[in-house]
Amino acid sequence: MSAVTAPAQALAEHDHGDSKFQIFVQIAMILAVITGVEIVIVYLPLLKWLVVSALVILSVVKFMFVIFYFMHLRWDKVFCTVLFFIGLVLAVGTSMALLALFSAEASAPIVATP
Amino acid sequence: MSSHAAAGAIDHHHDHTTSTGIPNKKLFMWAFLASDCMFFGSLISTHLIYRLHPPPGSPVPRDIFSIELTSFSTFILLMSSLLMALAVNAIQKGNVRSTRRNLLGTIFFGLIFLGCQVFEFNHFVYEKGMTLKNSIFGSTFFTLTGTHGCHVAIGVLWLTLMYIRTFKPADADSGRHAWLTSTFSHLILFALAVVTWMYLVLGFINEAIESHVSGSMVTAYFSAHAVLFIVGVILAVALNLMSRAKGPIEFGEANAIDVEGAGLYWHFVDIVWIVIFTAVYLLEYL
Repeated sequence: MSAVTAPAQALAEHDHGDSKFQIFVQIAMILAVITGVEIVIVYLPLLKWLVVSALVILSVVKFMFVIFYFMHLRWDKVFCTVLFFIGLVLAVGTSMALLALFSAEASAPIVATP
Repeated sequence: MSSHAAAGAIDHHHDHTTSTGIPNKKLFMWAFLASDCMFFGSLISTHLIYRLHPPPGSPVPRDIFSIELTSFSTFILLMSSLLMALAVNAIQKGNVRSTRRNLLGTIFFGLIFLGCQVFEFNHFVYEKGMTLKNSIFGSTFFTLTGTHGCHVAIGVLWLTLMYIRTFKPADADSGRHAWLTSTFSHLILFALAVVTWMYLVLGFINEAIESHVSGSMVTAYFSAHAVLFIVGVILAVALNLMSRAKGPIEFGEANAIDVEGAGLYWHFVDIVWIVIFTAVYLLEYL
């Protein structure tokens, strides 16, 4: 590295650090606002499926903000994202399968006949 | 220390000395978190299954939960995640003082979250009569949120150890410092201070709820717990004195991966709570 480019790189790294600080603070504010919206939305006289969908979407948005920014996935190698999403997809898939299985008619408890 | 540290320029996101290009500690952490996803996935789905198909006589969660307290806990955990991210950002720039402040802030917010959970569990058991074994709802709820609480407690312990590690002298291994003794006493003092102040604060909140807050109530409470209060103040002063700089330290930018590992764990605890907050608490209010 030449003597001319070294200060430029140091300045760029300093700017990068400062911009990350601002990004983190902004994301924390967004997360706080989304949490506030989630709390308000359950009290609004809206259709149940609409509220459930909104809550799921807002939670997913919060989840993604945290893993990609606070957990640095955005700046790390893609393999970290792939590794984590393998576990996440397996977890979500298992949960969905269990919920579907236990909601099936055949899973209803046998009621004693009179 | 990696070869990059020796060269004076550390790439915190890539490590060209490993076959994956990812630091081994980071790769291990992501693999662990992926497995923990499945662990929490099973606990959350178990709770939801029994919630969707409740046996006769199940309690009504809406009559038990306190949305105000849970919202406050959620906000506190989100802000602790911000402080953790700032701690990692600070150590990646070699700023140890800022790292220490942010780690302390994260620990403090984590303890507030745990305090809220202790208060909530106490309220559910003694006021609402919901225990771990008197209903399926109680069993799945306490198992899920209790496991999450254990993760938070482990995170607080990990961050505390990380905080204390930042004081390790640069020449600790030369044998001139009784560094292990001082570190152990630092940890013991920290733990005693946490227990003392949590006992005092939670007791005060409990007292304030039972009898209305007034000057005489505050005076009576602190008079009754004067010895403990003095012990708490002494411990706080002792911790402050122990955290004064005493010369060059070993901890620096090269340890950023260690702080980042603890940070990944802490953020994971936060994202699990994001799911629990929606799936277990908010959906009950529809």
